[in-house]
Amino acid sequence: MTDLWWLLPLVLALLIGALCPLTGTLLLVQRRLFQANLISHAVLPGLALAIALRLDPGLGGVLSGVAGALLAERLSRAEGPGEGGDEAVLNTVLAGFLGLGVLLIPLLHIRVDLEAVLFGDLLAAGPVDLLRSLLALAALALLLALRYRQLVYLGVDPTGAASAGLSVRRLRLLLTLVTAFTVVSAMTAVGVVLVIALMGAPALLALGGASSLRQALLRAALVGLALSAGGFLLAIQPAVNLPPGPLIGVLCMGLLPLAALRRG
Amino acid sequence: MRRGAILALDGVDFALEPGSLTALVGPNGAGKSTLLQAIEGQLSPVAGSIRLDGQPLSPALARQRLALMPQRSAIAWHFPITVRELVALGRLAATRPGCCDVEAALQRVGLGELAGRRLDQLSGGQQQRALLARTLVQPARVLLLDEPCAAIDPPSRTQLLGVMGQLRDAGFTLLVSSHDWGRDLDSYDRVLVLDRRLLADGTPAQVRRSLGDLHVGNHCCG
Repeated sequence: MTDLWWLLPLVLALLIGALCPLTGTLLLVQRRLFQANLISHAVLPGLALAIALRLDPGLGGVLSGVAGALLAERLSRAEGPGEGGDEAVLNTVLAGFLGLGVLLIPLLHIRVDLEAVLFGDLLAAGPVDLLRSLLALAALALLLALRYRQLVYLGVDPTGAASAGLSVRRLRLLLTLVTAFTVVSAMTAVGVVLVIALMGAPALLALGGASSLRQALLRAALVGLALSAGGFLLAIQPAVNLPPGPLIGVLCMGLLPLAALRRG
Repeated sequence: MRRGAILALDGVDFALEPGSLTALVGPNGAGKSTLLQAIEGQLSPVAGSIRLDGQPLSPALARQRLALMPQRSAIAWHFPITVRELVALGRLAATRPGCCDVEAALQRVGLGELAGRRLDQLSGGQQQRALLARTLVQPARVLLLDEPCAAIDPPSRTQLLGVMGQLRDAGFTLLVSSHDWGRDLDSYDRVLVLDRRLLADGTPAQVRRSLGDLHVGNHCCG
């Protein structure tokens, strides 16, 4: 059994490799990828509180991430479009939640491995991490099964979707929830910071030339799988011996010129 | 009509005849889009009312009887979607059938052969016709078209005006906004000139007479 130490981390890397690009593609076509960045930083206070209360840190992270996203949306709506006011609000909420999380750790007298939260520790993954990822994937599959065409309408023509009677706010809330699940479940594998690369780069590559959102989702998942598997297998080679999460992040960056060529 | 603290429209009073093609002309900021959005039920007037066949227009009634083709800037043209899929979105929230199914709507606007093509591979004029086809699968007899001829070349404009004329002949009521005007104005049955209030209302010839020579070249639609 000890020879198979790599199996669980590899399965988790593959799951995250498919899940993050799928969610990232949905966010990118809705022009809401910033939300993944925001949520990934906003999970920390909930994580710290959950640890202090002896609850599942994942649950705390999801709630905190969603709270951060909703607060930012509310405040940026009040700020109104134009002059970058909404961007300033989003970035301030992101930094504020991250700061609050860092402050809560000493205040609550808890120990949190911040490096693992931020950059991942795939080799330390356990069955709970796997379960979390499976639940996130199930939530995403459910959203796509029940709301695929609504998401297409919302992406291509948000005003038209609203005037056709679709509940735009509910759809966006569902997408926010799935994003929070995805970010939290990817925490162990690549960390909350590096998850952004795995959400954005495969989606960017997949969208070039795809004739439907369905096709773009499939392509993004395949690219993400290849990146995750490749990054993980390369990282654990004795000659390389590097943390898989950051390596996957760097590989994602390597995709960008390819995505630019494809779109160009 | 107010937009924030600004009085966007005041004293606008007109009725559209069924089966007519009407241009809503005015400069940028004249309130044309505001008026179309109000008729479609997205905005509510602070005073006065909008009626359809004598009934006050509620958002639910508007969804059943009106269809809005938005301005180009409202659409994410690079979204991965085929022309057929875009047109089919018009059926998504509809509770009653439209005048045509997706394939018939595509044929009607002359895009039958391009149905499987990705939206951003079409020319500007073809994209506008795809959006027009989307309104045809909705259960609407009144079509509100917001700047459909903006930023498209003259041949595409002529083609689009031809399709609008055919729809009028088929019994649709069309209200078409434009900030530009010229020779194409003669394609319309009636012209409303708007600049926060209604400045003129009549046939193209009557409006030209009443407002003097306001031609600003041929780059126009309405």
